[in-house]
Amino acid sequence: MSYPQNRWQRMVGALAEAGRVLTGRQIAGRGLTIYPDDVFLVSYPRSGNTWTRFLIGNLIDQTQPVTFSNIESRIPEIYFNPDRFMRKLLRPRILKSHECFQPHYPRVIYIVRDPRDVAISFYHHHIKAGNITDDCPLVKFVPRFIAGEFDPKFGSWRDNVLSWLALRGNDQAFLLVRYEDLKRDLTHELSKIVAFLQRCSFPNIESTAEAFWRASGLSSPERMRALEQKEAASWVLTKRTRKDKPFVRSATAGGWKSQLAPESIAAIEAAFGDLMQRLGYELVSEQSRVPLEAISQTGLPS
Amino acid sequence: MNLTSRIHSYLKTVASAALGRTPAGRGLTVFPDDIFLVSYFRSGSTWSRFLFGNLIHESEPVTFTNMEKLAPLIYSHPDRVLRGLPRVMKSHECFDPRYQHVIYIVRDPRDVVVSFYFYNLKVRVIPDGYPMEDFVSRFVAANVVGYADRVGCWQDHVLSWIRLREGKPGFRLVRYEDLLSNPARELTRLAPLLGIEPDPKRIERAIRLSSASHMRSLEKKQSQQWVATKDTRQDIPFVREAKSGGWRDKLSPTAVKTIEQAWGATMKELDYQLITDAAAEHELVRH
Repeated sequence: MSYPQNRWQRMVGALAEAGRVLTGRQIAGRGLTIYPDDVFLVSYPRSGNTWTRFLIGNLIDQTQPVTFSNIESRIPEIYFNPDRFMRKLLRPRILKSHECFQPHYPRVIYIVRDPRDVAISFYHHHIKAGNITDDCPLVKFVPRFIAGEFDPKFGSWRDNVLSWLALRGNDQAFLLVRYEDLKRDLTHELSKIVAFLQRCSFPNIESTAEAFWRASGLSSPERMRALEQKEAASWVLTKRTRKDKPFVRSATAGGWKSQLAPESIAAIEAAFGDLMQRLGYELVSEQSRVPLEAISQTGLPS
Repeated sequence: MNLTSRIHSYLKTVASAALGRTPAGRGLTVFPDDIFLVSYFRSGSTWSRFLFGNLIHESEPVTFTNMEKLAPLIYSHPDRVLRGLPRVMKSHECFDPRYQHVIYIVRDPRDVVVSFYFYNLKVRVIPDGYPMEDFVSRFVAANVVGYADRVGCWQDHVLSWIRLREGKPGFRLVRYEDLLSNPARELTRLAPLLGIEPDPKRIERAIRLSSASHMRSLEKKQSQQWVATKDTRQDIPFVREAKSGGWRDKLSPTAVKTIEQAWGATMKELDYQLITDAAAEHELVRH
């Protein structure tokens, strides 16, 4: 999703776009038609959005398990299908998006993840996508991650997270979920998500322990990995990427502690430290710790 | 949308894409040194295009006919054309993380709503005699007209930029009211962001060539040529009062209350004095 680098890439892009326009297949993206009963599942990339899609999808429809082949028609990304297709989906819809604050999204579940883990996941993601080479060291990648270089439209991690928290943090129609909490206490976090969904567009969604157990099993990293092996060639998110690298990676929290160099940790904490602290991500590099009262002006929920 | 209008919009989209004429808008390619004049609608952004356009271009005074060339609007040209124009552009977008240099103009929402009301009369979105109070309710709910609703209500728009960018090196917040009462001071403060020495003579010229009376006389001559006015009602001017506080005569107490209850905290933060009684004020601060 980075900018076309040269004239050829631009020309190919223009031709592809012309083809999509002629056939009415322009990707919805920001031009998506939004309905008042829509629920958006928003996050910065590599923050557990697809896992959450599996979880919610498996809760809503108890008959047919979510797979990579049916996820794009059940809880689809807004970036892969034309608006025409998205308008025909069964309503109420749940849609995945990576956008910064969008004023017209009526309801939002926002998933946030420790940016130190996001950086590592993003690094592997860009190797898989062929945007950086295998030999690019992680420590060189981190500053580019901090600058939000690869997906300028989504902003940096801070822009993306803060834009939603500052504008909707105290809103009834907004739910913040930490990836780490989902990992630590799935049942508790799922009940929060379900209560939120019940309150808005899905009054009948099931919230029994049994349903949670089933959804969690059908969305486990092991099952998702097995599905990925079978379906990676056909799923839109993985089909044009390297097959020797997995999309479903470690699926853990805290990997940064052993994988990030101290200078990378310090760089991330210096750039995002205020917001990280606000979200309960403890800082480890001494110099980036900021007194909490100094950052209370950001309009975040306390 | 019915079938005819769908076919119409399809043909329009295909034709403009085939001819490379789709306006850039949100699809704009942003370069790191681009400068954006960002504001909500009817907040003095056309005036600011005159001011900054005249400040930048010393040899050619800005008019309604050359404005799209000298200080273009991102919705007036395709991306391809904008690449060749001065990259000081006007935008109405809500927070866009790609914009590195932003002059954000904010205006008292009570004046914005009055101005937007008359603008929508001019462009025939609402008919003559449309109740102002109804319009105010729609305005607060961002339910006026598609292109405007898309960027959020006044408060979402303003806060999205302030909360994300205030205090950052490439961001300047300017109140329309300050620009009106002391344009020289404000331009002197903002010129460096444009890479311009704040020379008093140059600033004085820019202010003179952008005065409301000058703009009004230009509008009279050029309104048929400028994209923003040519197909609109010619009996209602685009350059309206160009002053602040006009809402006091145009808004009923109920309308004022609607706005202040919705956005009071943000208005206070921006130094817009509230007039709704203290009890109601307390309510909204708590909110």
